[in-house]
Amino acid sequence: MQKIDNFSMELNFTETYRKNINEHIAIREARCHKAQFPAVLSEIQENDRLAGRTFWGWVGFSPHNAPGGAAFGYFCHELKIIEAIERGNIPVEQRDAVHEMLHFWKKETSKAKVESAFTDKMIPVLFRDEIVSLPYNFKPLIANPIYRMAGVFLDYEKLLRLGIPGLIEEITEKMNVVKASGGDYQLFEGMLIALDVFIDSCKYYEKQAIEKAKAASNPQRVKELLQLAEVLKKNTISKPESFYEALQLSWLYTLMCGSLELGRVDVYLGDFYVHDIDNYVITEEEALSLMHSYWKLINDLFRDVDGRVIIGGRGRRNEANADRFALLVLNTIKTYGKAILPQTTLRFYEGMNPLLFEKSLDLIGEGHTFPLLYNDDVLIPSVAQAHDVPIEDAEQYMPLGCGEIVLDHMGFGTPSGSLNVLKALDVTLRDGIDPITGKRLGLPTGHLRDFKTFDEFFAAFKKQLAFFIEILADHEELEYVESGKQAPYLYLSMLYDDCIARGKGIFSGGIRYLGGSLESFGSVNAADSLTAIKKMVFDDKLISADQLIEALNNNFNGYEKEYKLLKESPKYGNDDAYADNIMVELHDFMCNTMRDQRERTNLDWYLNVLINNKQNTILGRWVGATPDGRKAGREMANGNTPAGGNDKNGITALLNSLVKPSPDIHAGAVQNLRFGKDVFACERDKLNALLNTYFKKGGAQAMITVINRGDLEKALVEPEKYQDMFVRIGGFSARYIDLPRDVQMEILSRVTY
Amino acid sequence: MSFVKITEKAIIFDIQRSSLYDGPGIRTTVFLKGCPLNCLWCHNPEATDGNRQLSFHIEKCTFCGKCEDVCVNRVHQLTDGIHAIDFSQCLLCGKCVNACPSSALKIVGKWMTVDEVMQEVLADYDFYLNSGGGITISGGEPLWNLPFTLELLKRCKLVGVNTCVETSGFVSSLRFIEMLPYIDVLLFDYKMTGSAEYLKYTGVSNEVILNNLEIAHSQEVSIILRCPVIPGINDTDQHFEGILAIDRKFPNLKGIELLPYHRMGNSKRLGIGIEETLVSLETVPVELSIKWIERLNELGCSKVKLGVG
Repeated sequence: MQKIDNFSMELNFTETYRKNINEHIAIREARCHKAQFPAVLSEIQENDRLAGRTFWGWVGFSPHNAPGGAAFGYFCHELKIIEAIERGNIPVEQRDAVHEMLHFWKKETSKAKVESAFTDKMIPVLFRDEIVSLPYNFKPLIANPIYRMAGVFLDYEKLLRLGIPGLIEEITEKMNVVKASGGDYQLFEGMLIALDVFIDSCKYYEKQAIEKAKAASNPQRVKELLQLAEVLKKNTISKPESFYEALQLSWLYTLMCGSLELGRVDVYLGDFYVHDIDNYVITEEEALSLMHSYWKLINDLFRDVDGRVIIGGRGRRNEANADRFALLVLNTIKTYGKAILPQTTLRFYEGMNPLLFEKSLDLIGEGHTFPLLYNDDVLIPSVAQAHDVPIEDAEQYMPLGCGEIVLDHMGFGTPSGSLNVLKALDVTLRDGIDPITGKRLGLPTGHLRDFKTFDEFFAAFKKQLAFFIEILADHEELEYVESGKQAPYLYLSMLYDDCIARGKGIFSGGIRYLGGSLESFGSVNAADSLTAIKKMVFDDKLISADQLIEALNNNFNGYEKEYKLLKESPKYGNDDAYADNIMVELHDFMCNTMRDQRERTNLDWYLNVLINNKQNTILGRWVGATPDGRKAGREMANGNTPAGGNDKNGITALLNSLVKPSPDIHAGAVQNLRFGKDVFACERDKLNALLNTYFKKGGAQAMITVINRGDLEKALVEPEKYQDMFVRIGGFSARYIDLPRDVQMEILSRVTY
Repeated sequence: MSFVKITEKAIIFDIQRSSLYDGPGIRTTVFLKGCPLNCLWCHNPEATDGNRQLSFHIEKCTFCGKCEDVCVNRVHQLTDGIHAIDFSQCLLCGKCVNACPSSALKIVGKWMTVDEVMQEVLADYDFYLNSGGGITISGGEPLWNLPFTLELLKRCKLVGVNTCVETSGFVSSLRFIEMLPYIDVLLFDYKMTGSAEYLKYTGVSNEVILNNLEIAHSQEVSIILRCPVIPGINDTDQHFEGILAIDRKFPNLKGIELLPYHRMGNSKRLGIGIEETLVSLETVPVELSIKWIERLNELGCSKVKLGVG
């Protein structure tokens, strides 16, 4: 018998929203939370020491975490609902209502609200009729909007200092003041309802833990479950007093608020941990056991990005305790085994306890893909400059998801668009026409043969980029405006500066800094293409403009000589000024053009991110052959890293190139480095010196994978033997054998040092 | 006047940045072309000849025949899937290299001035400082082009770059002494034990070499002894005892590295039109090299470790 597709939660949620459609947005949202929780909370599992798992509905409310892709406020997963309708297993009494629900959300989801507010300028670019119905992977577009409120970093310190009762007290006081003065007090009323929902959810799990304890036969497990019930009960009536209580409270809140980031765990959990260890409240072994459960719950979010656990760095008020907790985190990575999440991130600076860095390198050397390394000495001044915030705020920088930098509980900046830079070049060569569809995608700036100089051509390319950047910046602003109108995102607003003080929701003027970021893909290939055009067409004149276009249109078939010349043109990543200077010029232009968008919009910042995830492969699929010698449809280079096989001059040359694009005009760039196991095992001092020099020279970040090329090749032949082999694809880790073949080949093609 | 010219320029076979295995720290290894020795197991045979040379990578060749079309000296002849090359007729004009769409052909060796080499070397200056690395001058035999090497060494010392020279030691002792003040680390080859054997397998006799080793040791230069070990030729107790004797005689040696034979040289030999050597000899497996180390340890040589040649 097939599983029944029961939509009672979704229908109840929809009914609640409809009934409250004219209520204050905070009340409406709070009541929707009540319809959602604890209904979407799923069972405590066999070895869970902490409570908090979700099985989100296909309709619901969440800034980010939801099934089948990212949520964006009020969401409705149409595809899944239609699948269920087609399966025919929806209970008879729900069938009409489910159809009706689908219609209702079509114009009521937060995404629909944004789309319906598109300006005339946005519509033809972001919402093209002939392609918009295609899934994301099949869109040959230059600019793509992204819908999700990613990068939630809550004020956990406040949450744990006050506990739920303390929060209720603070909000009640504030509400009474506002009410007395005739202000908008309903925001606070909504918050209080949401906290009630949270308490109900704790009680729901408390009851479940007790029931499970009754049913359990293993005395150890009975003890654990009763202890968990006690901890959950405590969370509802007082602020946390133990490490266990603090961990449970922070986890369940993270989960219910729809965040996918964990933030500075060493700061907010460090004091609890140290207190409990030093006072014999808990043993190291017990703490580690709780951490393993925590790790499992994070890993079971089943995301391949996000899940940032951040340790180390400047700006930690309790550095000594935080360091001790950070070591526990590193020990957790070591003992837990390989996991996709959390993405543990080590921030480091000169003068920090060296043990953290050393132990991190040990883990990487053992084949773990974490922690990711972030250099505070470069990044803090860079963030202060790029985001234009004081140094003390910059000290609280947090890389979210794939590496976009925001500020801990004071500055939001979801990446709301992606820009296919190489596709923009593809059309700039052809007067704005897409060579695949023959349709106009870009501005009519002329054909390559029309340009007298390279600079003229580069200027045309910049004009195209600027056009798309403006539209995407406007789109980011629109996302916030429409989201703010529809909901105050109560769980976020309670723990983001300065929403309570201002009495406003996070996206309605409450938050201190509201910024944004634009994910750009293919910059390195675009820069190398520009270099090849400059050298071959304009400087050396070995290939004519028409010859080049013909060679590209034919994917180099029959143009072997041109292909060789283009492949052998200078490439970024070899410490070669000819190629690197063009990369820097393109980088400066893109970053500065995006950064200037704050003059046109109300965003506090709008910054480029050169991150990477699978998009470099997916977006590359719709880009024809390019002048850097990349063949049609092939992957684009990852982040700020040279295209596979193009860095031929040794790792020092690569590192010298990597530090050339300025870090203080964007919100994050990912650098992938791969080392053979031997280097880690046998030449550790040299490796340390290599990384040290790179970081001293201005290297902001490094994602290091230790792998043998032979391992990857063998894994392609006998995947079953390489289940545990994890690789980094820049923004995230993945099981190598699970990746699509073209992504596997791309990783294989990157040079191993 | 010709002396000045040699000082200015040399034929550089390759410059390898980020070398981790040619001396202390992170290094840039500069390979000079030309070597007076002719070791049977040489793994850099394209560096033996002191002139520029055409080289061919058969696995990249698609037999398209473009090289044949452009060559006026009939160096390339393609018939029935065979690409025959008459290296003796090549004038190094480079036309075939440019015509080849699959990069199967190249000219090995490039004239470079000391300035040009220094520019490349200094790009990684910060890496040297932090790692205790620097330049390694190798070859070929770097002391074969002594004026150039000496000038390069002096320039490096002038700007504080640590210097390392990888040598067979086969050079006039008078000239050798001249260079020592500018060398921080010598990677000194010890190939065979016994004068006759030395001559048989390398083409030169070893008296001057041993003399130079003694000189370097007495001048307190930091020396790492590098010993290529070739199964069936010098993996014998007689030679291992020879290594031990050197170790005892020169107590200040910084280290002894074994370089187990690998076959890589043979495909390179074919690529430049010379005959393969040690045709049936396979690359040494790691287990065997570990046995050698253990044997040397047994004999009482404790400094020895595995190197990467």
